[in-house]
Amino acid sequence: MRRILIVGAGQSGLQLALGLQAKGYDVTVMSNRTPDEIRSGRVMSTQMMFRTALRYERELGLNFWEGLAPRALGLGFSVAGTVPGVPGVQRPVDWIGRLDGYAQSVDQRVKMAGWLDAFAERGGRLVVHAAAVSDLDFLAARHDLVLVAAGKGELVSLFRRDPARSPYTTPQRALALSYVHGLGPRAEHPEYDAARCTIVPGVGELWVIPTLTTSGRADILFWEGLPGGPVDVFQDVEGPGEHLTRTLELLEWFVPWEYGRATAVELTDPGATLAGRYVPAVRDPVGRLPSGGLVLGVGDAVVVNDPLTVQGANSAAKCAASYLASIVERGDEPFDADWMRTAFERYWASARHVTRWTNTMLGPRSPHIRALIDAAAGSQPVADRIANGFDDPSDFDDYFYDAASAGAYMSEAKVPAAGGT
Amino acid sequence: MSTAAPALRAPAGPVPERPTARVRPYSLTGGRGRCGHVLLMETFVAALADADEGRGDPGAVAAAPGGALASWLLPEVRAVLGLCRRLRSVAEVSALLRMPLGVVRVLLGDLADQGRIRVYGTGHLTGRPDRALLERVLSGLRRL
Amino acid sequence: MDYADSDATAPRDPGPGPGWQTDLSRAPAATKIVIAGGFGVGKTTFVGSVSEITPLRTEAVMTTAGEEVDDHTAVPAKATTTVAMDFGRITLDTDLVLYLFGTPGQQRFWFMWDDVVRGAIGAVVLVDTRRLADCFPALDYFESCRLPYVVAVNHFEGTARHSPEAVREALSLEPDVPVITMDARHRITVVETLLTLVGRALETTPGAVSRAVHRAAPSAAPEPSRGGRCDGSS
Repeated sequence: MRRILIVGAGQSGLQLALGLQAKGYDVTVMSNRTPDEIRSGRVMSTQMMFRTALRYERELGLNFWEGLAPRALGLGFSVAGTVPGVPGVQRPVDWIGRLDGYAQSVDQRVKMAGWLDAFAERGGRLVVHAAAVSDLDFLAARHDLVLVAAGKGELVSLFRRDPARSPYTTPQRALALSYVHGLGPRAEHPEYDAARCTIVPGVGELWVIPTLTTSGRADILFWEGLPGGPVDVFQDVEGPGEHLTRTLELLEWFVPWEYGRATAVELTDPGATLAGRYVPAVRDPVGRLPSGGLVLGVGDAVVVNDPLTVQGANSAAKCAASYLASIVERGDEPFDADWMRTAFERYWASARHVTRWTNTMLGPRSPHIRALIDAAAGSQPVADRIANGFDDPSDFDDYFYDAASAGAYMSEAKVPAAGGT
Repeated sequence: MSTAAPALRAPAGPVPERPTARVRPYSLTGGRGRCGHVLLMETFVAALADADEGRGDPGAVAAAPGGALASWLLPEVRAVLGLCRRLRSVAEVSALLRMPLGVVRVLLGDLADQGRIRVYGTGHLTGRPDRALLERVLSGLRRL
Repeated sequence: MDYADSDATAPRDPGPGPGWQTDLSRAPAATKIVIAGGFGVGKTTFVGSVSEITPLRTEAVMTTAGEEVDDHTAVPAKATTTVAMDFGRITLDTDLVLYLFGTPGQQRFWFMWDDVVRGAIGAVVLVDTRRLADCFPALDYFESCRLPYVVAVNHFEGTARHSPEAVREALSLEPDVPVITMDARHRITVVETLLTLVGRALETTPGAVSRAVHRAAPSAAPEPSRGGRCDGSS
């Protein structure tokens, strides 16, 4: 029985651990927190998952909360701005794309704690320990494979940043999210849930995402602020209450229609807020320890994108599924550096689309992208196609990245001529 | 030696399409965590009497749940078992054997699963000590 | 390293210890206090003044890259640093043992703090008035995870004495955080500091005396966490 050590207990690490365990591998998970600490700790993400990623969880029998979590049937896009002759902040662009399969978000405090419990109950070894290089140095020699699935912390520095695949060297957004109860439904479609993104030009973006948290159904208010801009104001907040107050003030000012349904919200719990920023990066997946032992990076440890396109958990699930297949196919052959790189490139074949699309959206939006977003308002097929790109971003290759293919797609889709926003 | 864990009650079954009522914290996963040994720095461990090197039954160890084949032969494992003929804390095992703490935790976890060491509770597990324990510490310190 | 004969390769084994060490039918309750502060402030001296064993040391090797810094450069495996944690032990009763862990002061070692703080009574933040800022990360950390703490001003000979109130002001401490002037070399003042901390922990622990059994038993049903732990991600 092959022995595998997984450091990190997030989406990618635990999905992989439970998947390997089901296939008979001898798996040890090293987590710096106990399940109870995760459960009672701070929120970690928006963890939106789309159809393919949800299918991976379902195939492994890990969709414990699928019946409880709200189902986002659509993805809404709005652009905040002015409309001639109408006072106040309006929505010159406002549409919703229908998802082919629903999307869901399950608070990782619920999911990771529950998955850790399941892993331990199924006979897996959970070691509660904050891993250091010296631990891995020793343990690498005693395991067939060591995977580092910790996207934060000092172990990430085992993986060299790949400048050719990492265009940004500074954070592109300041992040601030709050989990709330009491958000009202959107007036346009009160009968179903959707995740909504509003672009506020020159300011940033606001996501509103339905989720399941420790206290049941909730919504996530998630600001992505341009660094130094009016939304980049969460670094010095004193406590979660002030964090929510600022979130709502910014809502009232920049997206009043979302504020309108948020007047009665309250935080779900004291750990319901999170603020931060990080640099998107793609890293060399093979880390070399002082002893010469090798470790393979998983998920955020090797490919981390800005959460603007809400792909973090989605990508982690795809990485875990891809690595699981690579590991199983390897059979009894050694997990050497060549195999590690091959396994990563197999994942990168799909991950590169996420990175390219996200990095494109982070930059200044070119006229043809603005035209596409406008066009979706007048064409449901275009809206649906963009929305479903969140499940499979490779589709954007065909029409998103240059003016010619965007124009060709829009004329093919018989979109009425539209100007940029 | 691992703790008897109640069956996982992952939430399933019929639920409203749009659950509106608040769910009590923790109830989503059926309650508290069920992971076996959380080895704090101060958690005490000791070798079980018949677990000394050379006396264990290799076949039984290989068949033990979670037991890696022949792991008991590793010199590190023998060292841990030797040291733990007396009661030791996890931190003491790490310091006295000059083994990284994480390695000690992995080895002790393995050995506990194999029934070769015993892990003693700390009385308060991972939460904060309660008043009764604090009172006892206070009177103990006063006697120094 | 040869682990074949553990006791022989363990030069710092404290030797025959208290009686509880050999009665394997049960173990004393174990608890701990964290001693934090900047480099050279006297943490190991503090621990050694009251420990019944010569302080032991556990080490971890880390990369030298900062945690939140993406410095765009390769981090060769050689770029590592060793972080040491010294600890001591006090048998308070036949069935009660207290550990003291001296933790490295820099913020980037938060991942070790999370580990040592889990289940702790509280922390003593050791302060050298000549280098007050060295203790800021520790104060921030313990405040953020609501761990009870006291500030102990380790008075070094030949330096100016500052009143506790002056230190409290300089560190912007809440009025209910105890500030003590002490000498880490002197056992009596170390014990007094520990007493103050445990008193402080009692003040901040909810009232009802739990009926939890402290006589240790093999680990049984876990209890829910009481939360309040620091979250490294924050």
